[in-house]
Amino acid sequence: MARKDEILKSFLRHKLFESNDELKTTDLPSTILEALDCDNLTIKAIAIIVEGLDGTSPVTDSVLRNQVTQFLNEAL
Amino acid sequence: MIIRKIQIENYLCYYDTNTFELSDGLNIILGENGEGKTKFFEAVDWIFNGENKQLEMLVSAKKLDETEIGDSFRVRASMTVEQYGEKNIITKSFVAKKERPNECSTSSFMIEGIAENSSGERTQVDGSILLNRVFPFEIRKYSMFKGEAELNIFESDSALANLINLFSEAKHYDKYSEKGAFLREKAEKAVDDSSKSDKKNEAQYKKLETEIMFQEKEKAKYIVHLNSTEEEIKKIEENLQLAESHVNNADALDVLNKRIVGIEERIFSFNGRIDENYTTSLFDEDWILVNFESFHKEFADKVFAHSKKQRKLQSEFDKQKGIKEGAQMAKAELLNNAVPLPIGVPSKAHMEEMLYDKICKVCGTDAPEGSISYEFMMEKLKSYLESQDVEDNEPEKDDQLFKFDYTNRLENLSTSHEDNLKNLRLIRSKIKELFEFNDERKKDIEEFTEQLEKEKTERKQILGNSSIAENKLIDVLKNYNAWQRDLKNKNHDQLDYTSKLDKIEIELQRKKEEKEKIDTKSANSFLIKTRKILRDIETIFIDTKEEKFDEFIVKLQTKSNNFFKIINIDSFTGTIVFTRRKTANQTIVDIDLQEDGRTFHRPNQSLETSKHISILFAISELASEIKEENFPIIFDAPTSSFGENKTAQFLNLIYETKNQKILLIKDFLSTEKATKALSIKKDFENVRRNKAFWVKLERPFDPNNLKTINTEVITL
Repeated sequence: MARKDEILKSFLRHKLFESNDELKTTDLPSTILEALDCDNLTIKAIAIIVEGLDGTSPVTDSVLRNQVTQFLNEAL
Repeated sequence: MIIRKIQIENYLCYYDTNTFELSDGLNIILGENGEGKTKFFEAVDWIFNGENKQLEMLVSAKKLDETEIGDSFRVRASMTVEQYGEKNIITKSFVAKKERPNECSTSSFMIEGIAENSSGERTQVDGSILLNRVFPFEIRKYSMFKGEAELNIFESDSALANLINLFSEAKHYDKYSEKGAFLREKAEKAVDDSSKSDKKNEAQYKKLETEIMFQEKEKAKYIVHLNSTEEEIKKIEENLQLAESHVNNADALDVLNKRIVGIEERIFSFNGRIDENYTTSLFDEDWILVNFESFHKEFADKVFAHSKKQRKLQSEFDKQKGIKEGAQMAKAELLNNAVPLPIGVPSKAHMEEMLYDKICKVCGTDAPEGSISYEFMMEKLKSYLESQDVEDNEPEKDDQLFKFDYTNRLENLSTSHEDNLKNLRLIRSKIKELFEFNDERKKDIEEFTEQLEKEKTERKQILGNSSIAENKLIDVLKNYNAWQRDLKNKNHDQLDYTSKLDKIEIELQRKKEEKEKIDTKSANSFLIKTRKILRDIETIFIDTKEEKFDEFIVKLQTKSNNFFKIINIDSFTGTIVFTRRKTANQTIVDIDLQEDGRTFHRPNQSLETSKHISILFAISELASEIKEENFPIIFDAPTSSFGENKTAQFLNLIYETKNQKILLIKDFLSTEKATKALSIKKDFENVRRNKAFWVKLERPFDPNNLKTINTEVITL
């Protein structure tokens, strides 16, 4: 498993997701690709950040911020 | 990675070429102090870290001495390592040219690398790159340890960060907490700006922002106070624990010192009471008169006889005098004992007139011659005339038998002599008593001196048992009480700061909620939602990073304790506990030895060393797991506090561990007293190892002449 997927999984083990009734553990994505396709905004935002920092082409802070804000802007 | 061979050539005490063919597992290099162990370690370290400075200091004096002026020779240390089935040789060397007797010039050093593949094909490569590839610098930091002091790798605060970077997944999470904070701050600012754009909120919003800022500052201030108080508490507890190990001794010393002073004072006082000035009694205090008692008796008898005679005469005289006085008294009786008129009343002239007229003109009766009245008047006149003539009658009035009373003086003298004799007679017993008294006091002093010696011996034992000097031991008792007071005060401060922080936190929370309410009412809902998501993400990033951090610490702690138990098998150890602590700038891990939650602040050196070695083995094992490769560890004299038995036990136990280990120790060697010949003790046969060497100086040699020094390498 790629490191970025491992990192994502570590984040998704957080208790914030455990307490979220809408999410079942089995529904949690196990790869960045799956997470980017997820309906949960927090999970998808995390996936964007992980891809931005540990993906094939790391991005700068401002690019990362733009990516996240743009995604949330569209989604919210 | 395994070091297969180390060659040292003309490097300090290693004259010519010396080869150590090493094995995987445990390699032990024995050597007495000053015979080449540390120079071996330094040669390996020189390959890894050596600088291009003062290379002439590394040249073998013996080789230089044998070389002709103008000739050159090579100084070299090389290492053959095996990795993934390939053999690599890394050689560091320079050329020394003899310029004058005992002097040489050197070239710069060079590092050569030779890579040999499994089919034996050799390729020349860059030595430095090869070295870093096979044995990375960051791993090497945890591979070479010289002496016991260097084993404590956690002494520097950055050590943990290095370890995390090397072996923990936590290193991947650092950047996420940073980016999470960055994104959240931007989202917060966007919400703030949006809320502030609503003019009716502006004043209230600014007020809240100022108050929050103030509370944040207060919070930061009290966190600093609390942290420093906790640090101080830790230090005081350390001091107290150290003092506790001495306090019994200090207490006993205090009691003993007081007793010693008491005994010394009594000895001094008794010495003062002993008076051995016997000559005063013997010569100055009439001792010489003691034998003159018989003379005194004769004198006293004579005085007594004389006194008796004198008293008899006096008695007779007094009797006669009494008769005379009796007659006078009888005369008085004739006047019916009435009180007579004073002499001269009636006057002389009246008396003579009445006698002439023969009439008593006092009572008016006739007083013819021969009558009682006439005789009375005549007598009265006579008395008057006698009273006028005192001198003639005086002798009769003061009539004495003895004009001077010498007898009484003689008697007093005799009595005085008697009293003196009584004192003289006591001189004998007084001297005897003085002798007895002095003897008793001398015995007392002897007893006290004996007691004093005992107390002093006890004090010596206490001081012998104590690892600190007497004055410090006395200070311990003073400090102990002061530290206890300090601890109480600091605990009070800690409670105070915690309570203040709680209050600030509540207030801060209240203000933030108030601000949030304004945000919810005024700010753009998209911005609020974005902030909420990014706040959650930051929390997730921080928590996950800390979780990874803690996982690593727990792993390291578990592994360290496994080794710790093995090294200290059958003996008391306690548990190594890693505690994560945050300061203002960084996260620090404190490593303590604990038993039932109680920290040993100052464990003995042997326990401390085994703790450090256990942690190093744990790191080495982690390195093996993470990098999927083993790396050697080289220790120079790591167990000098262990003693030979524990060292043997230690070696047998670490023999079981993975990794290649090279240990340089001075144990298991004995020197024959007469010949001073060195030999290896039989006990070493029982030490399990994969390979062993003995480095020893070639005999004979002159310890003051480096030219005679050559270390031989004997493979055992």
